[in-house]
Amino acid sequence: MPHPGWAAFSFDGIGTGWEIATPGGLNPGQRRRLLGVVENYDAAWSRFRTDSLVAQAARQPGRYGMPDGAGALGLLYRSLYRLSEGAMTPLIGGSLEQLGYDPDYSLRPHGASLPAPRWDDVLDWQDTVLTTTAPVVLDVGAAGKGQLADLLAAELRLQGVSQYFIDASGDLLNSGPLPVVVGLEHPYDPDRAIGTINLGAGALCASAANRRSWGDGLHHVLDGTTGVPVSTVVATWALAENAMTADALATAMFFVSGKVLQQDFDFSWLTVFSDGSAAYSAGFEGVLFE
Amino acid sequence: MSLPVRKSVFVGIAGMSLISTVAGCAPSAQAPAAQSTAASTGAATGSAPIAGTGASSSAASGYKDGTYSADGNYVSPNGTETVGVELTLAGGTVSGVNITQHPSNPNTRKFQGEFASGIAAQIVGKNLDELNVSKVSGSSLTSGGFNEAVEKIKAEAK
Repeated sequence: MPHPGWAAFSFDGIGTGWEIATPGGLNPGQRRRLLGVVENYDAAWSRFRTDSLVAQAARQPGRYGMPDGAGALGLLYRSLYRLSEGAMTPLIGGSLEQLGYDPDYSLRPHGASLPAPRWDDVLDWQDTVLTTTAPVVLDVGAAGKGQLADLLAAELRLQGVSQYFIDASGDLLNSGPLPVVVGLEHPYDPDRAIGTINLGAGALCASAANRRSWGDGLHHVLDGTTGVPVSTVVATWALAENAMTADALATAMFFVSGKVLQQDFDFSWLTVFSDGSAAYSAGFEGVLFE
Repeated sequence: MSLPVRKSVFVGIAGMSLISTVAGCAPSAQAPAAQSTAASTGAATGSAPIAGTGASSSAASGYKDGTYSADGNYVSPNGTETVGVELTLAGGTVSGVNITQHPSNPNTRKFQGEFASGIAAQIVGKNLDELNVSKVSGSSLTSGGFNEAVEKIKAEAK
């Protein structure tokens, strides 16, 4: 609980655990409406259910009307698609399925890695309308959790709840004005933190390479051509006004440096590399343990 | 500290020793051993020379010899991490580690070069129990189904 005396509403949504904390408890009607927001989002964007709009788009090309908010999501993705030179794309779903990250969680590669189709070849995203010219597997996972947090926050405000703290399994959205001290999870050990930050009004989102399957080896993997430890991004944090932006930027930092991204986005960032080093913008100054 | 706003800075961080990390927090008991194998894609090759303590813990783990591809496992909770790994197990220890660079990775490596030069510090971890925090920002809790599936694969490799 972010503050003593607050009450929490916990539930599962879009494949992860959520906790909404508020000064007073939420009544059954309020909870139902919040869950309705989650269901609407899932019904549109989940590629893990056969009846979603995204699942339909995976079966056949066509014109798909997405819910409110899709316009902002599309603009954000388009911007990051450009900045990452195509590396970060909502069309990554097919590539993920090819690697086994499919609705059945088979985790068995179906074959060689498959590049995502080029955006302009298959997709026209105008505001809330997506027009596809081929079956495409959309995956908005890089920003979807954050956007849903924003939508839940909007619903809370609509209900007259002005103070809240939303925890989407480690992606956080604070209404303010009360700050919350947040630990930054160690990329190799979830029982430890590498620093703490005082989160005021705004969103703090994290992204990390999944560590469990391959142990802790990466930070002592050497590049055979140089003998130097491979330095790849293992964990990122982004601090922004809204959770959709913070969520997307946390992922984007796996492809584009925070330094470059902050030319286009107003946000603070922290990146931890596999060799244990870290880089950060001014907003994360003094946050890491020394 | 008064650094210019928006200036990126490096931080020197120490304390997470290599051996203690392997022995202390590797849940999968996969200790990379000293055997380098060329990645088939040719993009990059990694080997991880570790001797002694790390290897002994995996000898007790009882994993079957063989080559295990962990491509799917590198997908980040947000779905876009693109580093892949292939592990070769022999005699209960990891005898080979292949790091596969996926197409998006050269970009990543390019910008990482901007940061990585001359930095050899380590992040410092503190136990959450010892910290007065009510919230944690991270990714370990994300995507439960995915993590469960990884556990299943590990069970199958036993």
